Amino acid sequence: MIRRLVVLALLVGGALLLEPLRVPTEGVIAPRSLFLFGILLLTADTFGALAHDLGFPRLVGYLVAGLGLGPSVLDIVPPGVLQDLSMMKQLAVGLIALLAGAELRINDLVTRYRAILWILALQTAVVLLGLTVLTLILRPWVPFLAGLEVASLLFVAFLFAATLTVNSPMVTLGLLTETGADGPLAKTTLGVVLVADVVVILIFTVAFSLAQASLGGATAGALDTLFRLLREVVGSILAGCLVGGVLTLYLRFVRRELVLFAVVLVFATAAAAQALHFELLLSLLVAGFLVENVAPVRAEPLVDVLHVMAVPVFVVFFAMAGADLRLQAFMALWPVILAVALTRAGLIYAGTRAGARLGEAEPVVTRYAWTGLVSQAGVALGLATVVADRLPRLGLAMHTVIVGIIAFNESVGPILFRYGLDRAGEIRVR
Amino acid sequence: MQTTLTAIAVITVGYIFAYLIFDRLRDRYGYVGGAEYVVIGFLLGPRVTGLLDAGQVQDLTPIVSLALGWLGMLLGTYFRLPTMALIDGDHLRIAFAEAVATFTIALAALLAIFRYLVGAPWPEAAVLSVTLAAVATLSSPVAVDALVDRFRSRSRVPPVLQLAARIDALVAVAAFGLVLAIFHQGDVAPGVRPPTATEWSVINLAVGIASGVLFHLFLGPRGHLDEGRLFVALAGAIVVASGASYYLNLSPIFTTLILGFILVNSGSAHRDVTRLLLSTERPVYLALLLFAGAAWSPGSVDLLFIAPLFVLIRVVARFLGGRIAGGYVAPPELRAPGLGRGLLALGGLGVALALNYGQVYPDLHPRLVLTATLLSVLLFEIVASGEASAFLMSLGPRAPERVGEVTDLTPVAGNR
Repeated sequence: MIRRLVVLALLVGGALLLEPLRVPTEGVIAPRSLFLFGILLLTADTFGALAHDLGFPRLVGYLVAGLGLGPSVLDIVPPGVLQDLSMMKQLAVGLIALLAGAELRINDLVTRYRAILWILALQTAVVLLGLTVLTLILRPWVPFLAGLEVASLLFVAFLFAATLTVNSPMVTLGLLTETGADGPLAKTTLGVVLVADVVVILIFTVAFSLAQASLGGATAGALDTLFRLLREVVGSILAGCLVGGVLTLYLRFVRRELVLFAVVLVFATAAAAQALHFELLLSLLVAGFLVENVAPVRAEPLVDVLHVMAVPVFVVFFAMAGADLRLQAFMALWPVILAVALTRAGLIYAGTRAGARLGEAEPVVTRYAWTGLVSQAGVALGLATVVADRLPRLGLAMHTVIVGIIAFNESVGPILFRYGLDRAGEIRVR
Repeated sequence: MQTTLTAIAVITVGYIFAYLIFDRLRDRYGYVGGAEYVVIGFLLGPRVTGLLDAGQVQDLTPIVSLALGWLGMLLGTYFRLPTMALIDGDHLRIAFAEAVATFTIALAALLAIFRYLVGAPWPEAAVLSVTLAAVATLSSPVAVDALVDRFRSRSRVPPVLQLAARIDALVAVAAFGLVLAIFHQGDVAPGVRPPTATEWSVINLAVGIASGVLFHLFLGPRGHLDEGRLFVALAGAIVVASGASYYLNLSPIFTTLILGFILVNSGSAHRDVTRLLLSTERPVYLALLLFAGAAWSPGSVDLLFIAPLFVLIRVVARFLGGRIAGGYVAPPELRAPGLGRGLLALGGLGVALALNYGQVYPDLHPRLVLTATLLSVLLFEIVASGEASAFLMSLGPRAPERVGEVTDLTPVAGNR
């Protein structure tokens, strides 16, 4: 390990030596972005191994490496480089979504639907309500609530809580792949997280429209916004059906070069998603699900290929997610952030246990399902960015707090979920 | 919305159509290329559907640079010294003679065209000619190995053919790397003396050697990493080495060739590294074709004049190079004047060189180089298999097939 760290230090030193040999250029992809991406990859892999040796999930190592090299700490990988490499992250999200969809077995969903729906309903309701109340209680210390009228206060607190209700399908799937976990806890958590992804986006949409209307930004457009976002969800599902159809045809008639086909499919879907305004993650999730469960083809070759690609894809995604984290946001408001994050974890615990009991889930699910629902990552960050961009009056301040909370949840969540899986005896790969 | 859906429909139909056509070619003529990927890339690109616009094609640069480095590193792993030492001296002499003769003939012809016919200034003519001569010299080791495996000739010539394909690639990549260092593009930071051509050549070499030594240490002993992590470590190594070269406007293929050479000769993990690189070669090659298709925007002059001329020059250089090496340099027992017929397949490195050229010299006819290369890839991958088969058949009867035999026709191929 020390040898690898020394090599990394020498690489960074080498980068500094080479720097004067070229005038920095502004291009679509700055040349040095590629080099720094390589250093990020190698550092993440090394820190992943280090985390693993210390008994933590590798994901935590990837995140720490990204955080360390990113703008928050050493600034070796500046924001511009992350912007340059956003397409790599998009590819990672798409491939993971495809794999997540293909991992969802219809039989598992049918046998567990009661538990999944009850956990989802109660967890979402308890977290939404609890965090809205907590935000109102913490009002004097929360910067973005200052000076708001009663109605606005209520709706903005609701929007804040809605953003924090989001889970992380990426972390769940990443950890399940890393540990090879299989069992009631793994299947139920994956089901809840993936269904929640759709439900919570709808709730966020409603909350966002209400907050926007109460702030006087677009009262008349509130329903329009809701309709537009609903259309996005429906569009994503339809696009997923179309992509699933293309995948099915390919698996039926061609079935060659699956790695390349998967990559091209993700890029093509991403381009179409941008043009037609639908969600890449949701559409590929649906596509993977349809190919695995509905299509009259064997999806194993595709799933095998996606599993082979999973390790590098997770390294890329979480290292870049780590680099995106802003430590300054956490440091500036840490008492509020800690209070909200810990309360959120407590509310998830309470809501999940109650839901699992009502859904007659296995005892192991009742005890540990909450550990898989604490993580937050890409989706939550995306929603926080929507808030920052489209509510200029208070969005930026809210974004800072949310990003701080996500940083906490993203760091602690994988450790908790690994602990839960371990206690449940579902970990297959150590 | 309608435009996007139409684009998707065009691409789907185009891909299936191209796949069916080339599948027929594959069945009938043993064609091993991936021309359908050039077609789909072209359909996806800004020239046809615009589903990938020019900016998005540029965004794919990291993946392309990774692919360039990947192929360069794979080439480097072919040259493992303990197995190279077992190669017959005559084989090496023939292979080098064939590569150098082919390169020299192609270079002379191309220089004459660019300098005297097109009227380009000397430096421009030199850069264009060396690049295209390097592409002309390349022959696909994978295609040659596949044919040699299939034919199992009793003759002693097929191992020479396999070695020649690798030496061709070595000469081509080295020449291209050198020309990028000598005619270096880009400015250094203010206050820093610009390196001379020799210094750039040394820097290019030094980046490769330093990368090789560092990643030898980074990878550690054999069995230390599982396949997924070995993939990440290798991808990281290639991205860093390629990225350093790309940053300095040098050749990532040359740098990673050195990286691969050092890794395969220094570490105990060389078999794992080579196996992983070989298993991913085809997707990487096809990805390059796809990208090349998307980035391809041929001009009419290139298509009607220069590109067909380049194809002609490559055929002549290949045949003459083969004749010089196989007819005059070879001892009587290895004499094969038609050696060049067995080396027509171009393969992924040609596309890699053309794309690399476009990254470094965006203002010096990159479209022409890419058009000439793609046209060669498409044409030669259709005819190469038949020509090489005819050449191998002309060498004499086949060896009887033995069940379960391990193919290890040359010491170099034995690296696998």
